[in-house]
Amino acid sequence: MVLDNLGSSLKSAIQKLANAGKIDKEIIDDVVKDIQRALIQADVNVKLVMKLSNRIKERALTEAPPAGMDSREHVLRIVYTELVNIIGKATPIALEPQTIMMVGLQGSGKTTTTAKLARFFSRKGLKPAVICADTYRPGAYDQLSQLCEKLGVMFYGERDNKDAVAIVRNGLKETQKYDVRIVDTAGRHALETELIKEMKDIWGLTNFTHRFLVLDAAIGQQASEQAKAFNDAVGITGVVITKLDGTAKGGGALSAVSDTNTSIAFIGVGETPDDLERFDPDGFISRLLGMGDLKALVEKA
Amino acid sequence: AITRGEVILSEKDLEGPLWELEMALLESDVALPVAESIIDRIRKDLSGQHKKFLRSTGDIAEDALRDAILTILSAHTLDFDDYVKGHDKPVIVVFTGVNGTGKTTTIAKLAERLKESNVGVVIAAGDTFRAGAIEQLQKHADRLGVKMIKHDQGSDPAAVIYDAVAYAKSNKKDVVLADTAGRLHTNVNLMEQLKKISRIIRPDLVIFVDEAIAGNDAVERAKLFNDAVPISGSILTKADADSKGGAAISIAHITGKPILFLGVGQEYKDLRKFDPDWFVERLLER
Ligand SMILES: Nc1nc2c(ncn2[C@@H]2O[C@H](COP(=O)(O)OP(=O)(O)OP(=O)(O)O)[C@@H](O)[C@H]2O)c(=O)[nH]1
Ligand SMILES: Nc1nc2c(ncn2[C@@H]2O[C@H](COP(=O)(O)OP(=O)(O)OP(=O)(O)O)[C@@H](O)[C@H]2O)c(=O)[nH]1
Ligand SMILES: [Mg+2]
Ligand SMILES: [Mg+2]
Repeated sequence: MVLDNLGSSLKSAIQKLANAGKIDKEIIDDVVKDIQRALIQADVNVKLVMKLSNRIKERALTEAPPAGMDSREHVLRIVYTELVNIIGKATPIALEPQTIMMVGLQGSGKTTTTAKLARFFSRKGLKPAVICADTYRPGAYDQLSQLCEKLGVMFYGERDNKDAVAIVRNGLKETQKYDVRIVDTAGRHALETELIKEMKDIWGLTNFTHRFLVLDAAIGQQASEQAKAFNDAVGITGVVITKLDGTAKGGGALSAVSDTNTSIAFIGVGETPDDLERFDPDGFISRLLGMGDLKALVEKA
Repeated sequence: AITRGEVILSEKDLEGPLWELEMALLESDVALPVAESIIDRIRKDLSGQHKKFLRSTGDIAEDALRDAILTILSAHTLDFDDYVKGHDKPVIVVFTGVNGTGKTTTIAKLAERLKESNVGVVIAAGDTFRAGAIEQLQKHADRLGVKMIKHDQGSDPAAVIYDAVAYAKSNKKDVVLADTAGRLHTNVNLMEQLKKISRIIRPDLVIFVDEAIAGNDAVERAKLFNDAVPISGSILTKADADSKGGAAISIAHITGKPILFLGVGQEYKDLRKFDPDWFVERLLER
């Protein structure tokens, strides 16, 4: 992972705090401003950033630092706990039979992540099967079937059928004896009402254990609105952040989980089927803020 | 300091309106450093200026913002259609960008656009890496009735594009549209590969494709792609997804190159020539 230059602005703010001795309002204002900058540059929703920073400021000014904690550590601890409040823990993934539906915007990484998840579960000793419900994008069938073939994973698709709902209905029947069934859907966004309806119809076919929203780490301020639309349609159970092997910070995912009351399940860190990691909240917070281990600080208190 | 119905603007008068405009830019996905540099510029330009008594400071600041953005977006111009018309044939166009932004789809849209004005097109399947990439482009080519040159998956992308250019020369085609695999700007090997493609092919135009829904990272990747293989202009896709598309400003600002088209949907017709005035109106509408 590339850790970055936005951190530097925050680091200098933290430095100011370190030198300040006691907490005064002016310095806290300064530091909170720098935290705002870091979060906005990480693509966290601007309104959420303002809400968060107001809370941080208020707490920093009113709460007494725990014994043995200097003022700098105190503010950092508040920032950390506020972010943890939103992010929570990684979405729990049970290692047992289940059905999963992949949804998200165009090009976010659903198909690639579908293959990665199949690999993840088969490594855990569960037998995966993958169903291609993208009847829209040219070559979608080939992309997923090739990925599955390479992995030796059961693939179900109907090349010439345009009816995604029918394909999934058939596919779920055909793959009954597999442990983990993953349905890859076509990319869509909130304003494409026909496609949103199609997604709902697929969702209605069975009681999907998980509905994963796949989000590009680079998505900007639209993350909230889009996540809400997907959540309204199919009830998101977790987010996957892809392309975290670049320089994007993934702040959109923070907005998304904040607005849908969900959590992050996995992160994608490359194009190959092995480039999938379970989500680690602490690593993610460090990346958002561009600085090291804040958790240790909290545990010190 | 009121003289004859005018006041002099101070930094303090400007503070509120400029703060609001900066927030609007950030909420429109203009990257933070870019938004700050635009606002700083306006602050410098406006403070100390006289203003007519009856105009609000907010309106003045907004007009200044409009001008500043238009300046960025109109710094250089390149009319794709005119370029193709006026240039020696075949015109070789290579598309670059990070993963999943819409390069392949945009090539199909441009092929359709060129075909409609009777320009002969060849497509090069230069993404020899991603699963299904060749099949995806092939399907577009078949639908459009356009020739596509391909090699096997895993082969050298430069060689495919080279062959497409040779085909265009011997078959009197006017334009080669060359796809490349998506790659992250941090992947040193893949960025080197892109440079190699450019060295061998010597494209006339290099078009950087990014998406209108991208946030702050747009700056980083536009910069690194432009450093690796200088781009001629950019195309922003997925502008139909309800975003304000401030990434266009970030990218134009950091590369100094024009935005050529917007992708506004998944159909071939969903490609719109970029119009700075239209874009700024949309950005600033409330
Ligand atoms: N570097 C990197 N690339 C990724 C990652 N995940 C996906 N990609 C790439 O992103 C591009 C888009 O991925 P897809 O899986 O096709 O995306 P999708 O959401 O299925 O796209 P649509 O079906 O068109 O909506 C491809 O080039 C993938 O190889 C990741 O974690 N890191
Ligand atoms: N809504 C919308 N979707 C688009 C637009 N342009 C492309 N897409 C979709 O975005 C997805 C990715 O497009 P591709 O053309 O495969 O992107 P790419 O850059 O070639 O991807 P890689 O080759 O994997 O790096 C597809 O589902 C396209 O249909 C657009 O302007 N609007
Ligand atoms: Mg897909
Ligand atoms: Mg492509």
